Amino acid sequence: MMTKLLATVKKEILLLIRDKVGLSILFIMPMVLIFVMTLVQDSAFKTMNEKGIPVVFVNNDHDSLGILIEEGLRNNDLCNVSDSINGEKATAELAQKYVGEGKFLVGIIIPKGATDAIRKNVTQLVSETLNGPDSAAKKTTAAQDSVEITILIDPVAKKSFLISVTSNLREFISEVKTKIMFQTFSEQIAEVIPDKQNAPKNTYKKSQIITYKEVYASETEDKIVPNAVQHNVPAWTIFAMFFIAIPLSGSILKEKNEGSAFRLHTMPTPYLLLVNGKIIVYVMVCLIQFLLMLSVGQLFLPMLGLPALVLGNSIAGIFILTLATAFAATGYGVMVGTLATTEHQAAIMGSLSILLLSALGGIWVPSYVMPEVMRNISAWSPLNWSLEGFYKLFLRGGHVTDILSESVKLVIFFLATMTVSSIANRKKRTV
Amino acid sequence: MSNTAIIEIENLTKIFKNATEPAVNDISFSINRNEIFGLLGPNGAGKTTTISILCGLFVPTSGKVTIDGKNLHTESSSIKKIIGIVPQDIALYPTLSARENLEFYGSMYGMRGKDLKDKIETWLQKLGLIDAAKRKVSTYSGGMKRRVNLIAGVLHSPKILFLDEPTVGVDVQSRNVIIEHLKNINREGTTIIYTSHHMEEAEHFCTRVSIIDQGRILTQGTPAELISNNNGATNLETVFLNLTKRKLRD
Repeated sequence: MMTKLLATVKKEILLLIRDKVGLSILFIMPMVLIFVMTLVQDSAFKTMNEKGIPVVFVNNDHDSLGILIEEGLRNNDLCNVSDSINGEKATAELAQKYVGEGKFLVGIIIPKGATDAIRKNVTQLVSETLNGPDSAAKKTTAAQDSVEITILIDPVAKKSFLISVTSNLREFISEVKTKIMFQTFSEQIAEVIPDKQNAPKNTYKKSQIITYKEVYASETEDKIVPNAVQHNVPAWTIFAMFFIAIPLSGSILKEKNEGSAFRLHTMPTPYLLLVNGKIIVYVMVCLIQFLLMLSVGQLFLPMLGLPALVLGNSIAGIFILTLATAFAATGYGVMVGTLATTEHQAAIMGSLSILLLSALGGIWVPSYVMPEVMRNISAWSPLNWSLEGFYKLFLRGGHVTDILSESVKLVIFFLATMTVSSIANRKKRTV
Repeated sequence: MSNTAIIEIENLTKIFKNATEPAVNDISFSINRNEIFGLLGPNGAGKTTTISILCGLFVPTSGKVTIDGKNLHTESSSIKKIIGIVPQDIALYPTLSARENLEFYGSMYGMRGKDLKDKIETWLQKLGLIDAAKRKVSTYSGGMKRRVNLIAGVLHSPKILFLDEPTVGVDVQSRNVIIEHLKNINREGTTIIYTSHHMEEAEHFCTRVSIIDQGRILTQGTPAELISNNNGATNLETVFLNLTKRKLRD
């Protein structure tokens, strides 16, 4: 039995290394995919996180509000603030024009006298609080207008970008308002305190007693920052491993069309042994693919200025999950090759189903941004099981025990595909 | 049934799914040890279906087949060890060389090591392929492919050899080489079951023939018997046309 198995493995290796197109699908295509997708997504990532959202800022106020908002936006990584356009001082009209043309995603216009208006409003409020509603201040400022800040929006801008900018803006306005309020309170209280030397100073600064810091809830010893590399390398590697279904199903159908399968069925060799030879070779191919993709993530992507892939804490976990994924992918290929009747049919069936399973599995778009219905469907994709497992290992610092459920699901998927293939093969012979 | 029968077929029927007519319709016959038995018939007569059933590729709808004393239905794996097949289509891997193909197929019959290598070399030598043995089969001529196709079926010295049109599409030289070697194999004790459209070849090659049409056996006997039993027939082709009529078949 072992001689037959080894002969099948040898034959499969020879067929594979002589199939140049098949080899390029197996190794070159996924490497190109990882390069392209990571670079594209990293650039989108940078637009938000490194360069920031392009914002044009028109400050007609020239007082506390305008200055503080501009300062706040400039210190915020999310925004890339400009107060001039092509060397010209930004005006409301220019901002409107350039945001409309898509040169900036957002334009912020602070009206003239905005700080003054806030100050008057706050003074009135403080006066009301301290002196009662019938105070003279009320009478003098009753007709005070509210401050209107204009936000210009590029129609193509993503809603999530706008929400980020406007929530930051609200935070700055609230900060300015609170600051002015504290100053006004301090001034009014100072007036009633006999010893002006002891009047409260820097009250606002002292009041900032709550701060926050962001920490990724990961168990890894190394600091792992979620980025395009950490997401894309495992995602596209899984995609490539499942894409093995196309050359594998093609090889099964080639054997049928070229008559070898006919001869093999007349030989004293069980179907499973013949299939096992293919599985061994293609699982090895998957493992080589995985190593290549990891080397791309660790060695080649940094050469292009991208962060290097961080593997997490568990090499054993990576090996188990990769092996389980390889078996699931190979089993799927055998099933497609057995169910399809022509190579053309297998190529279409294989590629479309893998595209669908990968889209559902969160390879293209993370499943957490999908609607609930799609998230529920996504949980049935073997590519999603594998991806979730790699996220646990690469991003959350998981260990073998953390990826066992995903690995078991992938192995069950492999066994299910093999059962379907075996039944379909038997059925085809009892025509 | 005869004691010397190596294959015994009783009431064999095969109806394919969605087919209106049976491909093989209640046929019974036996093939004796060491015979060269010709199964002749027009296209769609049921020859390839019969051979496919005997090789264990198709499950019959009904009937019983015994090969070398073993029931095909229950003991197909041990039967597969003693049969060889040379299919009508070239059943080889085009991107492998002749030697690589033969090593693989030989291994599938449980052959290995020196025995396998020696047999491959002997056969390649016999059929004039030794110089091209390292070349990919895809670069071979039709005749060369047919010869490798034949070796893949006889490498393990089977007791029974099924030949489904083994000389179709080859030149006279290749055909003569193939037929000569098949006769040698038969002389060494292998029973041959052969299908062909070449009536002249069948007349000279087969020890007994059966003419089959529309899944039924029309006549059976030695070529000489069939010719003498058909009035005015001078050769097997005339007998064949008299029995199967001249109507074109699909």
